[in-house]
Amino acid sequence: MQKSFIIKRILYAFFIFLIVMTLNFFIPRIGVSDPAERYYPPQGNMTEIEYEIIKQVTREQYGFDVSTVQQFINYVDGLLHGDLGTSFQPGNPKVSHLIAERLPWTLVLSVTNLIISLFIGLIIGTIAAWKRGRWQDTTLLNLSTISTALPAFFIALILSFYLGFEKELFPAYTNPNMVSQFDWSWESIKVVMYNAALPIISMSIGGIIGYGQGTRNAVIAVTNEDFILTARAKGLSRNQVIFKHTLRNAMLPIVTSLGMSISGLIGGAVIIEQIFNWNGMGTLFLNANNTNDYPLMMGVMLFMSAFAIVANLVTELCYSLLDPRVTVGERR
Amino acid sequence: MKIKMKKIGITIGKKIIAIFKGVGRFIAKLWRHPKGRIGLIIVTILIVSAVFAPLIAPFDPYDVTQRAQKGLSPSWNHLLGTTITTGQDIFSMLIYGTRVSLAVGLITGITLAFLGAIMGIIAGYVGGIPDTLIMRTVDVMLVIPTLPLTIVLTNLFGKSYLMIIFIFVLFGWTGMARVIRSLVLVLKNANYVKAAELAGASRWHIMIKHILPGVSHLIIMNTALTCAGIMVAEAGLSFLGLGDPTAISWGKMLAEAQSGGALLFGHWWWIIAPGIGIFLSVFSFMRIGLVMEEVLNPRMKQSSNIYKIFKNLNNQYLDEVFAGMDEKAILGIQTTKEGERV
Repeated sequence: MQKSFIIKRILYAFFIFLIVMTLNFFIPRIGVSDPAERYYPPQGNMTEIEYEIIKQVTREQYGFDVSTVQQFINYVDGLLHGDLGTSFQPGNPKVSHLIAERLPWTLVLSVTNLIISLFIGLIIGTIAAWKRGRWQDTTLLNLSTISTALPAFFIALILSFYLGFEKELFPAYTNPNMVSQFDWSWESIKVVMYNAALPIISMSIGGIIGYGQGTRNAVIAVTNEDFILTARAKGLSRNQVIFKHTLRNAMLPIVTSLGMSISGLIGGAVIIEQIFNWNGMGTLFLNANNTNDYPLMMGVMLFMSAFAIVANLVTELCYSLLDPRVTVGERR
Repeated sequence: MKIKMKKIGITIGKKIIAIFKGVGRFIAKLWRHPKGRIGLIIVTILIVSAVFAPLIAPFDPYDVTQRAQKGLSPSWNHLLGTTITTGQDIFSMLIYGTRVSLAVGLITGITLAFLGAIMGIIAGYVGGIPDTLIMRTVDVMLVIPTLPLTIVLTNLFGKSYLMIIFIFVLFGWTGMARVIRSLVLVLKNANYVKAAELAGASRWHIMIKHILPGVSHLIIMNTALTCAGIMVAEAGLSFLGLGDPTAISWGKMLAEAQSGGALLFGHWWWIIAPGIGIFLSVFSFMRIGLVMEEVLNPRMKQSSNIYKIFKNLNNQYLDEVFAGMDEKAILGIQTTKEGERV
């Protein structure tokens, strides 16, 4: 991999981040003339002057009293110091603190889901490609059409109804004490696993089938290449052809879809978190949205976008490491 | 002058007849394909129930005076029972919910396809600065998480389905544009396009007469698939309470079922009904989209696997790699048949 290629990609990712950051700053300011007014709707027993004072104090406290350009400069300055702003929530916690608090809980769900989906999906996909055209393959194909048409939140509702309420196997709602009582002891880890079971299952059904179908298609696409014919003509066994020649080359498209999953790790579980009342980034974001907490909303948005940009960058670099043709193409 | 007007009238009439004939032939082709037939039947049922909802539904779910007893189980009078919270007839809600889902899905899908196709063709054929501008925009839009952004925008600019359609179109055309662009890059070097260029045809003429027909199968197929995707997304947004608060939609029905205690009281029909509605509409559009791929371009059949994988690619220069890989199939150079493969 050439150095210039890496530098170019990093600079480009930074450029995209700058654009996203600017959009992130200006979009709420186009829609809302006065964030303070949206956050504190006028109360009945308040006189006009009192309300004006409250709004003025809020504006000064959160830095909305200066011109938009000055606000933007302050915002960028804050970002450079790792400050995503101050939330409107009582106690005025820092947005970065709130994110740091919630992030691990979302990652518990999404990373476990990704690992399960990828692992089982790879196995299922390879089997389907191996037994091409037989029942294993057609079942996977039919399942993938069905699971794409079934939204994950519907699966989650069904599971929470059947396994949560009817069979009472797993909790249908997350235990609210789970977060506050977590202390890395084996007991509390078991509680988390018990509570996370349903969200993870409902997320990973679609993931497993998706990765399965992706792997199957990738493997079959590679089987049509000339070097596989050569390998078979050399007299290699079927297993050797599949594991040494086919799977290795089929990794390329899988790495790409893996990159996409990774960029969606934080923002992808919003609805599932909402259904199971899981204490993660999704519920943080939805609550911020419901209470018109603009600094928190935009802070979470920026964090999610930045995460996606970094994930994309890493995927691109990995891809060019795996497939040098990409870097060659860049030189043209 | 009169004669000229008449002539124009006749040509327009002929064009309209030709379009209808084309659509008719296309539907006939879909009907002959067993998988396409299922999709076609379901879509017809959905459209009929959306258009004639007041006639089919036994009750008017919007009418407050027609509310029955709360939380009834399914019976002949109320086919799917009534809701626990308001006593609305669930079957009628299901029928009326078709309207939102189909309207949002179809309007968004078609507008988005239009925009995506134009952008893709311009980016691919013209190249240069327009290409750079369009592809950079695509790159930016791809990294912004769509669902959170939609939530923010509906919060800022009002909860309505018009807003949702607008946001979906604004952020959805990028995928379409990428796919179209990668195919246009291949077609650009085809001999017939080169011949038209040498004959002195203008860019617009080539784009409309030569490039557009070449990518039309991809546009139609992707439109059906996009409609399906949009319907899922719409259901999700309505579930989160971001749709029009007064309208009845399947996503909102699910949310009401969850908050209204359907899970707690074991009223499974209240959850299953809207879920099946979502499933059927998405499934039928997906089926039609996938069958179209085979019907419209039989040559594409051989490379369809590569197509499906690369359709979702997130990597900008892979477009070129992809274009190279599919070149053989698209230009009709002989490829090995299905049966000869390992």
